[in-house]
Amino acid sequence: MHKWKNTPGIGMLRRTLFLMAVCGIASFLLLFWRLYVLQITDHEKYESMAVSQQLRQAASSPERGKIVDRNGFTLAISASVDNVYLSPAEIESYGEDRDLIADKLAEILGLDRSEIYEKASRTGSWYVTVARKVEKETAQRVREFKEEYGIRGVRLETDSKRYYPNATLACHLIGFVGTDNTGLEGIEAQYNAFLEGGEPKTLREVNAYGADMIFGEYAEYIPGGSGCDVVTTIDSTIQYYVEKHLKQAVVDYDIQNGAGAIAMDVNTGAILAMVSLDDYDLNDFLAVSAEAKAVVDAATSREEAAKLLRAFQDRQWRNKALSDTYEPGSTFKIITLSMALDCGAVSTGDSFYCPGYVSVIGRTSPIRCWKDGGHGSQTLTQAVQHSCNAAFVNIGLRVGAERFYEYCDAFGFLRLSDDPDVNLSAKTGVDLAGESGSIWWSRNTFCSERNLSQLAAASFGQTFTITPLQLITAVSACVNGGELMKPYVVSEIRAADGSVIMRREPERVRRVISEETSKTVRSILEQVVGDPNEGTGRNAAVGGYRIGGKTGTSEKVSLEAATGEKQYIVSFIGFAPANEPQIALLVFLDTPSNETGIYISGGQMAAPLVGKMMADILPYLGVRPEYSEAERAEMDVAMPQTVGMSPDEAAAALREAGLRCRTIGEGESVTAQLPAAHWHLARGTETILYFGAEMSNEKESVPNLVGMRYNEARDLLSRYGIYLHSLSTVWDGERQCIGTQSLRAGSSAAHGSVIEVTLLSADEELLGRY
Amino acid sequence: MRYDTARLADFSALRTEEKKSGVDQIFLILVLILLCLGVIMVLSASFPRAWYDPAGVTGGNAAYYFIRQLIFAGAGVAAMLLASRFPMGFYRRFAPHFMGLTIALLALVPLVGVKANGSRRWLGVGSLTLQPSELAKLAVILLFAAMICRRRGRMRAFRTDILPFALILALIVGLLMLEPHFSASIIILAIGAAMLFLGGAPLGWFAAAFGAAGAGLGVLLIFFPYASTRISTWRDPFSSSSNEGYQIVQSLYTIGSGGLTGVGLGGSRQKYLYLPEEHNDFIFSVLCEELGFLGAALVLLLFALLILRGFQIALHCRDPFSFLVAAGITTLLALQVFLNVAVVTNLLPCTGISLPLFSYGGTALILQLAEMGIVLSASREVEAGS
Repeated sequence: MHKWKNTPGIGMLRRTLFLMAVCGIASFLLLFWRLYVLQITDHEKYESMAVSQQLRQAASSPERGKIVDRNGFTLAISASVDNVYLSPAEIESYGEDRDLIADKLAEILGLDRSEIYEKASRTGSWYVTVARKVEKETAQRVREFKEEYGIRGVRLETDSKRYYPNATLACHLIGFVGTDNTGLEGIEAQYNAFLEGGEPKTLREVNAYGADMIFGEYAEYIPGGSGCDVVTTIDSTIQYYVEKHLKQAVVDYDIQNGAGAIAMDVNTGAILAMVSLDDYDLNDFLAVSAEAKAVVDAATSREEAAKLLRAFQDRQWRNKALSDTYEPGSTFKIITLSMALDCGAVSTGDSFYCPGYVSVIGRTSPIRCWKDGGHGSQTLTQAVQHSCNAAFVNIGLRVGAERFYEYCDAFGFLRLSDDPDVNLSAKTGVDLAGESGSIWWSRNTFCSERNLSQLAAASFGQTFTITPLQLITAVSACVNGGELMKPYVVSEIRAADGSVIMRREPERVRRVISEETSKTVRSILEQVVGDPNEGTGRNAAVGGYRIGGKTGTSEKVSLEAATGEKQYIVSFIGFAPANEPQIALLVFLDTPSNETGIYISGGQMAAPLVGKMMADILPYLGVRPEYSEAERAEMDVAMPQTVGMSPDEAAAALREAGLRCRTIGEGESVTAQLPAAHWHLARGTETILYFGAEMSNEKESVPNLVGMRYNEARDLLSRYGIYLHSLSTVWDGERQCIGTQSLRAGSSAAHGSVIEVTLLSADEELLGRY
Repeated sequence: MRYDTARLADFSALRTEEKKSGVDQIFLILVLILLCLGVIMVLSASFPRAWYDPAGVTGGNAAYYFIRQLIFAGAGVAAMLLASRFPMGFYRRFAPHFMGLTIALLALVPLVGVKANGSRRWLGVGSLTLQPSELAKLAVILLFAAMICRRRGRMRAFRTDILPFALILALIVGLLMLEPHFSASIIILAIGAAMLFLGGAPLGWFAAAFGAAGAGLGVLLIFFPYASTRISTWRDPFSSSSNEGYQIVQSLYTIGSGGLTGVGLGGSRQKYLYLPEEHNDFIFSVLCEELGFLGAALVLLLFALLILRGFQIALHCRDPFSFLVAAGITTLLALQVFLNVAVVTNLLPCTGISLPLFSYGGTALILQLAEMGIVLSASREVEAGS
């Protein structure tokens, strides 16, 4: 140890040892303790926080489950696609050619070149998306481009894309997914948790700016649970038939405000089909119709255009059958009838007198029946057949307001509340997003003894609003034996390995009316359609089948009060077979135009539509037609093959088929015929047989047939070598007139063409708002 | 023993001196082990930043920082060996000149220094930059040791034995606060205090100095808003994890991710541009993540051994100047290691202090190794067998 002069060394030694202990031991013990806390005690906490910022979740789970219909046909399926993105910082640091990248990518992806160039120039960034969800072949071309030029700044990552093989079919039921593959509408949204499956699948390690870590190729792949497949109750075929005819009706009747339809299994509540028009392509759900696009393009400002586009999109995505409420009008008479029979307020033997109006306590003016002069004296069945408002007001009054509301509660139209002053509402609880609730008067208003006008109007379906789904659910209960079923659209959820995760059994909500009442209701409603003389629903009849149903023409009362404009929703609800119902079908057409020449009413517009749908659906469901002799005598017939026959043979063949003929030319045998063999055409049509003569290949201008008697039109057209086939049931060609025609008036038709028409009863008595 | 001025220039005499006793092998080996580890860690910690090159410095060359650090380390080892060859008398003789030069450079910094992050701390000639504050630390050690030796251990009178030291410190700290450079000021004050403590200054003065320092800190917190922000960030870094607390939060993520055994050398994820200054002030965090608690503890143990060995060398020096310089440099090393690790683990508020022998930085590394060389020079004077 060194020595200070006159200074004790022992003090220095002490100080040095003290400093040594502090610097070399104590401070390090403190650091060891601190590191122990951070690295051992709190290790997991910090690690998870660090990992959550280091890992980038792949944009999607590649295994979103399928949506299939009840027969296993695919409605929605996912496939793997690629996202193309740029790493401009790497483009910069490797000195890659931005012009080349922009040119090539613009060419391959069909995008704007300058936009890609601009993105490639954001040199501070490591991740700029160029194109999302690019198809396999296109992605392959991008890869080839990368390889050819050794471009590192263009990257691809796997994503998944949703495909809807049927495009518009059942679009409102199925719904769609957003870019992040989360369901936004319909079943995709409602069952998103099942469809999307477990946790994210691919995790990449990225640096603080989002670029891949250099040696991050060992990036973990965490396989989450695959998405489940969802089996729906939708029947694609029925959905297709319903959509086809409804779309045609929108054109035929020039419907202004959209239309909707629901097909339900009456015994289970399963939704077989649900249509809302206008529809849209699920594969391109952002695109709006051409007319809407024209409106958007004409907008003055960008914001205005965006707002308009958004409004059009919301409108096309809206499921009218589920989200819109309306006053059902006369279709609701089924409910009034059922409750009145069930509680004994009326019986089938009762008779009702209709002078054309009925006075009600609390109303200054009497309620008018749709038929001026009234229906006179009628049985209960006739009152329903006639859709007589006066009779139904009386039936409703006999039931009484309290009981009326109790039944409405039981049918699921409203939920009674302890507070007598609140307006009442209810929903069916269907497993679909976006269901609206009904709106009913408060109990105090409706059940007031001094004012029966609400009850009176409600008896024929006005002054409250419900959803179409609520109506078909309740009517199903009226005809299925009296059980209210909860409507549903998903019947089963299956894991990726096929095991069943959830199976939904039909859910019985409650018995509403007795089995006996239901039977009576069925038979009365069958008379509405089946009786060609009294039934207001006769236009819905289908030869060989027993169909029951009820028309509806509801006036938009609140709209008229506000604007003075009269608008109607025409509807029809049918079920079949009437003796043992399987399916119920509700269609509604919102605001037909006045220009078509067809009287605006449910009976003239919606009833034939349901008839056409039933004519397609019932054979598909395996219901065998049973034709009566009378029906057989009126049915359209098939053209036989007569070419090569002698004149006598040909005439006999045609006679047997129920057709007439004229001949052109002279000869031993038939050289040609109009129309060709196997075409169906109206019974009694005059066909043309050629004997050696040249067939003319002139074209004829199609006349307007709407309103013409079937036989009259048949004879008129056959003179020009044009023929008619009816999609509606022909029960009397003299008493049925043409409602719609497949070839529009003014279009040209070649000789031998067959025009398909629908028929309406020509009975003037039938024209009315019922 | 002491050298006289005439012998200082006599290099043949230096060589004969060399033969008499060698440098301390254990100290030298510990320095070289830590230096090797440091250079390897620079490679590991820096390659993501060098590869991605967000600041546009490296041109995407992943080994950019590593190669430079390797060159600096080579130069530093040369400087260390050279410094170990100069006799201690040389340092004593030129301590006032060195201090003069340092103060002149410090005075230059606010005028012509390179500005970065709101402070002027560097003097630059081309790509070579120097922080005069680093020089100041060594200058204080050398000059104070020389001054204490002149007083032959008598350190009692305020006017003659305390005031001159205080004035020198005040001048240096004053110049540093112009930059401003808070952490360097603290280290200068601490090392100055340590020298006086070793030199035998009465303990009463330290009590007074600590009181004054506390008051000064209070004033600082009130008048320098950035200082008080640092305190609140220190107490709860997660409340401002996207701005002020970002560095320290990322550092905690990094260290905590390591666990017991670490993610493996080279395997850090946090160094992928999440952790700022990952090859510099926060290199120890990357080490913690990659080598885990065991690796970090081992490195700290090596530092502790180096520091203990440094004090041991000091205690065995025959000459008071050598003793003071060796103990001072060792204390400086200990102080920097402790402050760096304490900051990256958020034991102390965040401030920029590099980790000796590890942090990337050319002139600082060369200077640190030269300081080690001075300790080695002192170790030559240790009596054989002691």
